[in-house]
Formats: sequence, structure tokens, C-alpha cells
Amino acid sequence: MKRIAMLVVLVALLSVSLVFASGEREYPSRDITNVLVWSAGGGTDTANRIVMAEMAKTLGVNINVVNVTGGVGGSVGMLEAYNRPHDGYTIAGLSESIVTAGVQGGWDKRVDVWDYYIIGGSPLVLSVPANSPHRSIEDLVAAAKSRPGQLRASASAAGSIHHLNLLAFEKGTGTSLNYIPYDGSAPAQNAAITGEVEMVITSIAEQAQLIRAGQLRPLGVLVPQAFTLGNQTIPSAFDSVPGLTAHLPIEQAIGFAMARGVPEAQRSKIREAFHAAMQTEPVKNFGRDNFYVLSGASGDEAAAIFDALESNFAWTLWELGAARVDPQTLGIPRP
Amino acid sequence: MFVLERFGIFFSNLAAMVFDPVGLLLLFGSVFLGILFGAMPGLTATLGVALLTTLTYGMRAETAMIALLGIYVGGVYGGSYSAILINIPGTAAAAATSLDGYPLACKGEGGRALGLTTTASAIGTFVGMLFVVSISPLISRIALQFTSFEFFLLAFFGIIISGTLTSPDLVYKGWIAGLLGLFLAIVGRDGLQFYPRFTFGMPQLEGGLEVVPVLIGAFGIPQIIGVLKDRFAPAEAKRFQRILPEFGTIVRRLPTILRSALIGVGIGAVPGIGEDIAGWVSYGAAKNASKHPESFGTGDEEGVIASETANNACIGGAMIPLLNLGIPGSPPAAMLLGALMLHGVNPGPMLRFDHPNFILQITAILLLASFAMWILGMLLAKQVVKVLRIPPPLFMPIIAVLCVIGSYALGFKIFNLYLMIPVGIIAYFLTEMGYPIAPLVIGVILGPMADQNLRRALMVSQGSFMPVFTRPVALILFLVIVLTIVSQFPVYRRALAALKRLLLRNR
Repeated sequence: MKRIAMLVVLVALLSVSLVFASGEREYPSRDITNVLVWSAGGGTDTANRIVMAEMAKTLGVNINVVNVTGGVGGSVGMLEAYNRPHDGYTIAGLSESIVTAGVQGGWDKRVDVWDYYIIGGSPLVLSVPANSPHRSIEDLVAAAKSRPGQLRASASAAGSIHHLNLLAFEKGTGTSLNYIPYDGSAPAQNAAITGEVEMVITSIAEQAQLIRAGQLRPLGVLVPQAFTLGNQTIPSAFDSVPGLTAHLPIEQAIGFAMARGVPEAQRSKIREAFHAAMQTEPVKNFGRDNFYVLSGASGDEAAAIFDALESNFAWTLWELGAARVDPQTLGIPRP
Repeated sequence: MFVLERFGIFFSNLAAMVFDPVGLLLLFGSVFLGILFGAMPGLTATLGVALLTTLTYGMRAETAMIALLGIYVGGVYGGSYSAILINIPGTAAAAATSLDGYPLACKGEGGRALGLTTTASAIGTFVGMLFVVSISPLISRIALQFTSFEFFLLAFFGIIISGTLTSPDLVYKGWIAGLLGLFLAIVGRDGLQFYPRFTFGMPQLEGGLEVVPVLIGAFGIPQIIGVLKDRFAPAEAKRFQRILPEFGTIVRRLPTILRSALIGVGIGAVPGIGEDIAGWVSYGAAKNASKHPESFGTGDEEGVIASETANNACIGGAMIPLLNLGIPGSPPAAMLLGALMLHGVNPGPMLRFDHPNFILQITAILLLASFAMWILGMLLAKQVVKVLRIPPPLFMPIIAVLCVIGSYALGFKIFNLYLMIPVGIIAYFLTEMGYPIAPLVIGVILGPMADQNLRRALMVSQGSFMPVFTRPVALILFLVIVLTIVSQFPVYRRALAALKRLLLRNR
């Protein structure tokens, strides 16, 4: 009897010490899960899967991507990822639109509880139909000023990043456009081709085919640097309208995040693997093939980008009447 | 010459696929899965394509397309099973099929009806494919004539035509049902300015009413209550049923089949609308062209053939704007677009240069899928008809459970059940009063399209309705709608008759 009791105690001690030993084993010791808040096949999903595959090589463990969609602004997936233990084994795959979850009533915190790693995004571009009389941003602005509130402009749904850029363009150029909302980028671009609208703002990735086929004429990208697409260079709209810099750029930020509660030692490992992954050929090829500008921002730099996006989106939605929660109650500062 | 060359590449692609055993197995497997998805109320072709997309990550783009197109073709066809046998269309696309399919099944000709729809669907898919190979650039140019006003008129036409066709007695009842559906579609935050309409502060209503619970509730529950009241006319299964249709029947129906296929391709090619409208419009056209329109709705094989040919021809039609413009022509095609991009294929005007053979590969897959569907359909129909031998008191509770699961499984929302049951009960009383249910469901499906496009069109024209009369396509659609409505009034028929007499006398 005594012997058995001894044995039990011994086994117990051994197993406890094993647990401690494994706890001290170097991070990461098991597979990491990436809870991706958007559906499979989308831009955020594809970008994450490619970067995760490269990071897995550096970290020496698998990173499994699981799509958990639903809610508002990806709130279901974000809650799922945030409510898991903050032990460094959960990543949330997300994009800039998650900053709208708070004011839409799906997320009761600010989004600065996350530590962000930004892969990049496709710059937004302002284009006109191929048969449009406007050849430059100046032409277009002059036309918009000559008939205020009438020049028909499309972007995807109200409150989307495209719409925010359109609003900023109006402020920066001092014009007032007739904004026509569409369900997504494809119908918005289609409306420009059929001539239903006179200008459209969506991303280069979404317009690339139409621009190369000569069905849309790009007038300018809404970022500081010009963009080369095939054999044509699209100038920056900022060159012709300097006033835009006060309101733009508002850029896509596709990437992933880890809860700030995760110990810094583990987050820095992830950061190293992320920066290494961004330098690999597959990721660079992906960026080129999909017309992305790769970012690689992390830490304070990425936090500042998401802070700005949050206040911009939250207050715009609130002013449009599309928000359910007052951004003030969440403590989101005005842009 | 150009066309001949395209067909040459097409057949070499086809041969490569026929001799690839893994590909063939995948094709048959996914078509079978599609038929199951289509036949189960609540599981749609769109959902099938969406679920399968996640499983095709590891595959090459061509292999993934075999699986996805297979499930798409199977799903659109599978809806006819439940429409014919139990009068609950498995997908909205098969709603028009049940009008004549179920009476046929009641007459004991369920097997024959299934055989006919299988053959008609296969021919429809095949004709759709022919169009993708030959004249797709032309069709996509016409599709670009559609702006917001045209989309609104088209959606409104879909609701009106289904109301016109399904009324058992007074045509007004069909229109009223359609407008009721349109009203239900308004519930929720509006798509353009986020204004909450009829939500009564309930967060579950903000996203609007989901189509699947409404579809299941409206079609399934009246059927189940009917059994409880014990006056349900169970469809019969005769002992010796011939599933394979007579060659002569198919040849005799060839004009209907061809007309329906053309309608299907045309409607599929218009972005945003799909199989459900195609079925209705083609059914209506067949009824108008028929020498004995009064037999429609009582089990006319022509009605079944018309709607099933068109909804499958729609697949080829929907691929045309998807591949040539990057604009999905139907909801499942929208899922396909996502899947294609995942595999690094960006459909659009540049596809012809980036992946020159891709369109022909797609058509080869479509052709094989229609064969696979026909073979599987012929094998399955015989077994499926046996379902009718189960006594209704045992069979209907199973259907009831499937209805509940089908509504809940979509997004796992218990609220969908609270929606399905009242809609079902209201639908039951409407059925009792002689209101058709199909226009109500079509109203819910097409409502958002009609609503958003009308308001968007008015934003574009700054409040003017004039574009309806100045844009050619819009004007044609408008006149067709007016004619559809006016032709139902006795005044119109009397005027027409008077006009005829006048003309004859002058001669």
C-alpha cells in the first residue's frame, strides 16, 4: 500500500516537473492558430496564408489559418481570437475594416488592445471611363467645381474605405460630388464603364484588369508615390492637388494582430519572423502579382496607423448615421 | 475560322480531361454532392460552392474549377427533385418547376418528370456552354447596357411575371403576393444610407430577413400543415416507371427546349440576377407560346422542361460576364469569382491574354459536368422516387425536421426559426385563400435589387424618371411590364378583339 502511494506521488511529481519543463521550452513549442475574421478567398485571407506559410518556416511550427466570420466589422472572429489565452499561440488575421466593429456595436473596447503587423494593401486610384473628356485630376476638379453636387462619383458602400477616400478627396479639393453608393467595388467599376457614373475610386488591385484593357483611365493614385502598372505610370493625385495631403492617404491595412496581453518576449519572436517573411520571394511575388504596396509596419508605427483609421472610420460612420454606438462612449478621439 | 480554332483547342482540352481518372472522379463526386445540396430544402447551390471553396485550397486552379462547377451544375439541377416530389423547391431556382412537376408526380408520373427534367437540364447546360465558347464577347457587350434603371425594371418584371403566372384564379392575387414579398424585403437597414426600416429596434432585424428561412417557411410549412389536416394528396409512385424519356418526346419538345435555353443564357449573362428569374421567365414564355396554356399548372411536361432547361442554361450565361468582365452573373458565380481569385486567376477583360485557354477549359468542364449530371440523374431518379412510397405520416415529420435544420444551419441563428415559423403560418393562410406563394418568395429575393437600384437610379438622374423612356433597354423592359399588366385586364382583350375585327373588315 505504502509503495503504491509512493509511486503515485512520484508519478505526480514527475508529471508536474514535466509540465514546468515544457513551460520553459522555447516559444513556440506547438502550432499557432490564425483566427481570420474575413472569409476564405478574400484579399486578407490570401495575404495572410502566404505570409503565415513563410513565418512558419522561421518559427519551426505550423500556423493554421481558421476563418471565423460574421458579426459586424469582423467582430465574431475578433472576439474569438481575443478570448483565447494570451499565450502567443493565437493570431488574429484582419484588415483596416475591423476598426468599425466598435461603433457598430460588435466590440466594446477600442482597437488598441491589439498589437498590429501590417502586410500592406493595394493603393486606391481615381479613374474615369475611357471615353471621358477629363484627362487629369485638374480637369476633373474643374468640372466638379463648375457643377457642384452633380458630378457622379461611385465607390463601394457608404462608410467603406473607398467612400472615406472620396469624402477626403472632396474636402481636399473643395468640391462637392454626387456620391452614388454601390454594393461593392465590382458594381461600382461597372457603373463607370457603362457611363452611369463619371468617376470611380477603388483599389488598383480591383481596377488593374480594366485599366490594362483600356476600359478605365486612371487619373491619379491617392497615395504620395506614383504607381507603375505594366508599362504606364499612374501619377500621385497629391502632385496636382497639394491640399489633399491634409486629409489623405487613408490606406488599406491588411495584416494580422496579437493581443497586447501576450508577453513581449513572444511578440518580439513573432515580429522577427514577420519581418523575415516580408523579405522572402513568395511574399514579394504575391505583392507584385496582386498590385499591393507591401508595408511591413509593426509596433508603434502600426499602432499609429490603426489609431488614425479607427478615429477616421468611427466618426465618419457616426456622422453618416450608420453607427450604432457613439464613438465618444468608446473614448475614440475625433480625427 | 476563329471559331473553328477555338473548338479545336476546346476538344483537345476535353480529351485531356476525359482521360484523367482523378479529375473524372472529382467531377462525379462534386456533381453528386451538388445534387444533394440542391435537393435538400435550405441548402443552396450558392452555399455548396461556398463551402467547397475552402476545400479546394490545395488544388490547381483547373482541378478546383472541376469541383466547383460540378457542384454548381448539380446544385441547380438538384432543386427539381424536391420541387417535383414534395412540392418544396430545394432551391429558389426550382420554384417554377414545382408548378407542373408536383401535379405530374401526383398523377403518378414523378419518374417521368424527373427523367424529362434531367435531360432538359443537361441540354440546357450544354447550350449555355456553346454560348460561352462562341459568342461570349458579344453577349458581355450587351450586358453592359444595364445600368441601375434597367436592373430595377428587370427585378420588378421578375416579381410581376411570377405573380402573373402562378395565380390559380385572380391574377391580382399573384401581384399582391409579390408586393407582400417586396415589403418583407424592405425590412432592415437600407443598403444605401443605412436607415433602419421596420426593425422596431430589434438588432436581429437590422440585417434584413434572410431568404432561406423565408423560402423554407413559405413552401415547407403549408405542406406540413396540409398533412396534419389530413387532406394532403400524396404523390404516387407507379410500379413500372420509365425514367429514360422517349426520344420522340424530346424531339417534339425541342422548340421549347431551345427557346428556354436561349432565355436562360440571356438572363444568366445579365449581372446580378440568376437561375431563379430564368426559370420564371422561361416558364412564362412557354405558357404564352403554348397552344393550350390552360393545361399549365395541372401537370404539363412542357412547363417542367421550360423552367429546368432555363435554370441550367443560366450557368453558362452567368459564366460569360464572369470570365469576360470579372462581374458575376449570378449569386453562385459570385462565389466562383472569389474561388478563382484565390487560385491566382483574375477574371476580367485581360483573362484572354493572361490565361488564354482558361475560358475553353471552363467550357470543357461545363460539358463534362452536364454529362455527369445526366448519368447521375438517370441513376438517382429511380431511387429517389421510392421516397414517395413512404407513408406521408412518417415522411412529413422528417421533412419538418429538415426544414428546421435547414433554416438554422445557415449562420446558426435561432432567430431564423422565429422567422420561418410565422412566415410559414401566414403562408398557409394565404394558400388557403388562393394566394400563390412563389411570388412572395421571389419578392423577398429580388426586393433588395429592385429597391436599391431604383433609389440609386434616382440618385444618378437626380430625381428624374425620364431615363426610363430615353434608354432603349429600359424602355423595352418598361413596355414589356406594362403589356404584362395590361394584358390581364378584360378591357385589353376586348379591345384587341375589336381591333382584329376592324382590321379584318377593312381587308
